[in-house]
Amino acid sequence: MAVVAVELIVTSHFPPVWRLLDTGVRRAAENMALNRALLEARQSDVAPNTIRFLGFEPSALLGFHQSAEQELDLDYCAANGVTVQRRITGGGAIYMDADQLGWELYVDRRALGLAEMSQIAEKICTAAATGLQQLGVNAQFRPRNDIEVEGRKLSGTGGAFDGEALMYQGTLLLRFDVEKMLRVLRIPAEKLADKAIASARDRVTSLAVLLDVVPERVAIIATLSKALANAFGVSLQAGELNAAEIGLYEAALKEIDHPDWVYGVSKPATDRPTVTAQRKFAGGTLRVNVAYDLPQQRLRQVWFSGDVFISPRRTLMDLESRLRDVLIGRMPVTVEDFFAERQVDALGITPQNIVELIQAALVDVPVI
Amino acid sequence: MECNGCEFRAELYYDDQYQIWVRQEEDGSLTVGMTDISQTVAGKILHVRVRRPGTIRPVGKPVATIESGKWAGPVPNIFDCVIEEANLDVLEDPNLLNIEPYEAWIARVRPTESVAQALSVLVTGDAAKQGYCERTRREDIHCERGAR
Repeated sequence: MAVVAVELIVTSHFPPVWRLLDTGVRRAAENMALNRALLEARQSDVAPNTIRFLGFEPSALLGFHQSAEQELDLDYCAANGVTVQRRITGGGAIYMDADQLGWELYVDRRALGLAEMSQIAEKICTAAATGLQQLGVNAQFRPRNDIEVEGRKLSGTGGAFDGEALMYQGTLLLRFDVEKMLRVLRIPAEKLADKAIASARDRVTSLAVLLDVVPERVAIIATLSKALANAFGVSLQAGELNAAEIGLYEAALKEIDHPDWVYGVSKPATDRPTVTAQRKFAGGTLRVNVAYDLPQQRLRQVWFSGDVFISPRRTLMDLESRLRDVLIGRMPVTVEDFFAERQVDALGITPQNIVELIQAALVDVPVI
Repeated sequence: MECNGCEFRAELYYDDQYQIWVRQEEDGSLTVGMTDISQTVAGKILHVRVRRPGTIRPVGKPVATIESGKWAGPVPNIFDCVIEEANLDVLEDPNLLNIEPYEAWIARVRPTESVAQALSVLVTGDAAKQGYCERTRREDIHCERGAR
């Protein structure tokens, strides 16, 4: 039967139809409850494969397993009207407001023809990057889960699964309020504000930076949704939430719009110290800030800065991406492998120097 | 034995998608873990969260959640049960699920109905072996251990 079904899809002149949803700007809790409801509806087959676009009131969104105390400046959030919420997807904390456009896919895994989660993420991100290219930016997929333009992140992504149903979501930066992001998130940036801002701008970009004019929301949605539909060989039809989804949404909202959901994962900030080290080399000064997971002995986030000359310029940002979630014991071989794979001009800085710099930052961290 | 490099253990019980394995314990509890297929599909597992001991988990409500890469999702539950214990070694080092999926159990649970009732919705033995191998072939899954 499976073979017959595949042949029908291949020979049919009418591609499968996915639903296109635009749920506008909503509170974070409502958006998270819709994530849960639409994924459950897809899993129980009461809703079709769907592409959804969405917007947020100002909010700080934790990854599913993250702790608010470790990731966010909660005092700043409370004082500045930034709502704290928890995603159902994995990954790191992000700041969202009207300057970002959210995009999401809800699909049955079998419609994608891929088994492994990393392959699924790559296929979806590559399709979204193709759509962004059509807006006039040189967007590319960067493993594991980013879409970037010349080393700067333009769209971060993450997913959730429930049986055969998948939800994959990304955030497209239309504009980027770097100061706000640095205030909301406890990221291992420099303490000096101007350096931190410059450093953040080296890593993150937006359509406003890349294009003379940011396209209208409706034009971005049309281009992105068409690219995603093309990548999966489907056509799209605008739709609304169905009655089953509305019922699931109302039940999910009761659970999610509640402090038990948002603060239910609690880990002490002391379990995730931020440490730093700095060294002078012939080519300049290199500094590293590391957010470290003490119980798991993993690098959670590494942030290089300084005035060293390294070409290509994006090298250190790509290394930061490679080092995310790496066990400290595997850090040296990861750095060596990274440099062995590419041509880098680094004026006297060796991979071993970088390994030693990271080790120097961690020298006072206790070993469990 | 193996299919496409995915280890199968005949003495265990499985859901019909071979996402989880279940082992019957002498004290009437059941031990739940992830199969070699599941840990391969998931990739490097970075977080595991098990519901608190004493929590009632009906069918469809997960015993545990995992996160790999930036994917989060449930370790599915297919019979009504109460959580008795989480494997603290796995909570501390979720990566164990990638290294030794059949030793690194996730939770011990007690079925709300009888053990026989819980096991009746699972598959085991030759039927399980056949289904397990079919899934690896159908989805072209080749297992790899130890994603770190």
